[in-house]
Amino acid sequence: MAEGPAQGPGRVLVAVYAVFALAAGARAAVQLAVQFDEAPLAYLLSALAAVVYVAAAVGLARGGQGGRRTAVAACSVELLGVLVVGTLSLVDPAAFPDDTVWSGYGRGYGFIPLVLPVLGLLWLRHQAEEAAGRAD
Amino acid sequence: MSTPLVVAISVVAVALAALGGLSTALRRRIGTAHLATTALLELLLVVQAVVATAALVGGQRPVELATFLAYLVSVVLLPVAGLLWARTEPTRWAGTVLGVAALAVAVMVWRLLDLWEVTRG
Repeated sequence: MAEGPAQGPGRVLVAVYAVFALAAGARAAVQLAVQFDEAPLAYLLSALAAVVYVAAAVGLARGGQGGRRTAVAACSVELLGVLVVGTLSLVDPAAFPDDTVWSGYGRGYGFIPLVLPVLGLLWLRHQAEEAAGRAD
Repeated sequence: MSTPLVVAISVVAVALAALGGLSTALRRRIGTAHLATTALLELLLVVQAVVATAALVGGQRPVELATFLAYLVSVVLLPVAGLLWARTEPTRWAGTVLGVAALAVAVMVWRLLDLWEVTRG
């Protein structure tokens, strides 16, 4: 595969990330605009998640070394986010009166938020190996 | 919003996702079957948008109106975006890209129905 914009399985990942960026972003925008006072932490987290999904989608879509670096950072933040927020939301439900994409390890979204960063990182590692193979 | 329509949309969407997965498994690009199924899905979504708009004009209001409208509009755009994107994908993964869009549609119409059922007025 040529180094450059995403093709093949990489494009599928970008598609899933784009859907999640849309879902998290739209939800956060509505919540922040309409009911910010009810659960500011949860809604700000949703907004942060949306930004991270956009960054991952763009990084994966662009490809190349720069794109991969962006995507690795975004996927790592995402994995950390879903693990930390998932754990906190179970340990201290009172802190999260309203659900975020990452609550309960992404339970409300079929656990896709938990699986997605792992798939992303595996794919990025595969891409980096291919790039290194070409450089030799 | 009607439950039978949502069921019909889900069935077509899942069929499209299956078609997409099949073409990826068979190492083929998308063909006429994908185009026809996407067109049918889009037609049903437009019908749903018209039905929902008529009900809104008729005075029914979901409690989360902004969210409802955002879903209603973006769900109509999804198959179009998925198809355009799949057509620029020259590999067997085009079907899976289209399938992802189709599954997102299936999830979103049920969410729409949820939102609709919390109405006032």
